[in-house]
Amino acid sequence: MINELKQKLLANFNDVQVNIPEDNRMTVNTKKESLLSLVSYLKNMGYNHFAMLSCVDWIDDKEFELIYIISAYPQDDEHYQDKEKKNILLKTRISRVKAKFITIISIFENAEPYEREIHEMFGIHFEGHPRLTPLMLERDYKIPPFRKDFDTNKYVENTFGKVPSIKERKEGKK
Amino acid sequence: MRELKLYFGPQHLGMVGNFSITLQVEGDRIIKAESNPGYLHRGFEKLMEQRTWIQNFPLVCRINVVEPDHMELIYSMGVEKLAGIEVPERGKYIRSIFCEMARVASHLFGAWAYANMLGFDTVANWAMYHRDLLLDMFEELTGARVYHIYLRPGGVRRDFPDGFTDRLVKTLHKIGGKVPDYNATFFENRLFQKRAEGIGIVTRKEAMRMGAVGHTLKATGLKYDIRKIEPYAAYDHVDFNIPTRTGGDAYSRLLTIRDDMIESVHMIFKLIDKMPKTGEVYTKTPNPFKWKIPAGEAYVRCESARGELGLYMVSNGGTNPYRVHFNTPSFNNGLTVLEKALEGESISDVGNIMISLYVVAPEIDR
Repeated sequence: MINELKQKLLANFNDVQVNIPEDNRMTVNTKKESLLSLVSYLKNMGYNHFAMLSCVDWIDDKEFELIYIISAYPQDDEHYQDKEKKNILLKTRISRVKAKFITIISIFENAEPYEREIHEMFGIHFEGHPRLTPLMLERDYKIPPFRKDFDTNKYVENTFGKVPSIKERKEGKK
Repeated sequence: MRELKLYFGPQHLGMVGNFSITLQVEGDRIIKAESNPGYLHRGFEKLMEQRTWIQNFPLVCRINVVEPDHMELIYSMGVEKLAGIEVPERGKYIRSIFCEMARVASHLFGAWAYANMLGFDTVANWAMYHRDLLLDMFEELTGARVYHIYLRPGGVRRDFPDGFTDRLVKTLHKIGGKVPDYNATFFENRLFQKRAEGIGIVTRKEAMRMGAVGHTLKATGLKYDIRKIEPYAAYDHVDFNIPTRTGGDAYSRLLTIRDDMIESVHMIFKLIDKMPKTGEVYTKTPNPFKWKIPAGEAYVRCESARGELGLYMVSNGGTNPYRVHFNTPSFNNGLTVLEKALEGESISDVGNIMISLYVVAPEIDR
C-alpha cells in the first residue's frame, strides 16, 4: 500500500526523494517549487487531513525546513483502512536569508493558523496569506524568537534586566 | 443595522480560560469572529531546546492544564521512538489505565465548565467533587494532584501501590453511580437541551474541510480516534467502542463527551482485568545528564481527551532536543473551527459553543 504510493509519487514527480523510515510514516523531500502540486496531488489521492505545519531552523545549512504533515480521515463510518494509519511528512527547504514561501490555504483551509504561527516565530513570509498579523507575541522582536540565533538569556537581560529596582528609582534612576 | 466590534475577552464570565475573541456583531448576531490567543504563551517549545530530554517533563505537562498526562505520554512516545526504547508489557497497561483516568478527570472538568457557564451549579459542584475523587487516586499513585510527571521514556515511574486497583474500581463505581443523576439534572434535562440543541452546528463536510479532530468529528458520526487507528500503549489489547452522534451541534458534542467518559470507565475495568500481575514497569534509560539520543526525527500521535494530539520532534544527536513542536487539538479547533462555528450565532452562545468545541487556551499558546 505505502510502496504503491511511493511508486506513484516517483512516477509523477521528478524531484522527490521518498523514504519509508517505518511502517506508517513516509517522508517526501521535495524542492520548494513542486510542493504545492504535491500537496494537492496527495489531497486528491484521499489524504484529506492536514495535521500540522512545522518548521526547523537548520542554522548551519543556512536553511529553514518546512514540514507539512498530512494524513487521511476514515472513508466510512464502520471500518478502518490502512490509509488512516499513514502519516506523510512533506519536507522542503527554503533559504534562511530570503525567508519566503507560498501559502497552501487554497488547498487546506486549516493551514491558516499554522502558517501564521510559523510567520511569527520564524519570520517566514507566506505569500497570499490573508492575515499575517501577530498571533501570540506582544512585543516586537528583532530576530523572530524561535530562530536558533535568538538568545533567550540575552533577550531577558536586555528587556527585563534593565528595569531599575525600587531603591534605584527612589534615587532618581529611570 | 449598525455593525459593532465586541471584545469577548478573558474577563468575560462566559469565557473559560485565558482566551479572547473579537466579534463583529449586528445586534445580537455574530457576523465574524476572530480568535485571539496568546495570553498564556510561555515559549515552551523554545525552552525545551535548552533542557535535557528528561528535564523537559515539568514543562511538557504544563502545556495543558486540564489534562497534563497525555502531554507526558506524547513526549515519552516521541523520545522512545527517537531512542528506540520499548515499553514493558505491564508498563503499557499502567500507561493506558493512567491515561484513561486522566480522560475521565478531564471530561469531568469539561462538564464542570459547561454546567457552570450555563448556571447549572449543582451539576458543576458534583463534577468538581467527582474529579477531586480521581485526583485523590492520582495523588496516591504519583504524589501530585494535577501535574503528575508520572510517565517517563521507557514506561512509568513506579508500579501501582498495593490494593490501588481495588480502590480505583471503588472510586469509579462511586462516580458511575451518579450517572443517572447527571442525566436527570443535566444531560437529559429539557432546560439544557433547549440551550444546546442546534447551536454551533459543524457538519461533517465542514469539519473535515477545517481539519477538525476529537469530539467535533465524533459528533458528526465519524469514528476518528487514534486509539483505534494507530493503537499505542495497551489499546490494541482491549475491546472498546467509540461513541458517536450525528447532530453535529453543541448538544451532540456534549453527549459524545459523556459517552466517551462512560466508555473510558468500562475500559479501565477491562484493562485492570487483563493486566499482567507482575513484571517490570519501565525500561532502564541512561544517565539523564549524559543521555544522547541519535540524530533523527519522529512524528508521533495519540488521542487526548480533546482529540488527535501530535508531536514532531527532531534530535541532532545531542543531550537536548533540537526542535519540539506540539500539534494540539485545541490549536486547530480553537483557531479555525471556532471562528467558523460562531458565524451567525448569538452572543449569548459564544461560551456555549467554545466549551462544546472543547477549546483549552493553554494548549493553543504553549
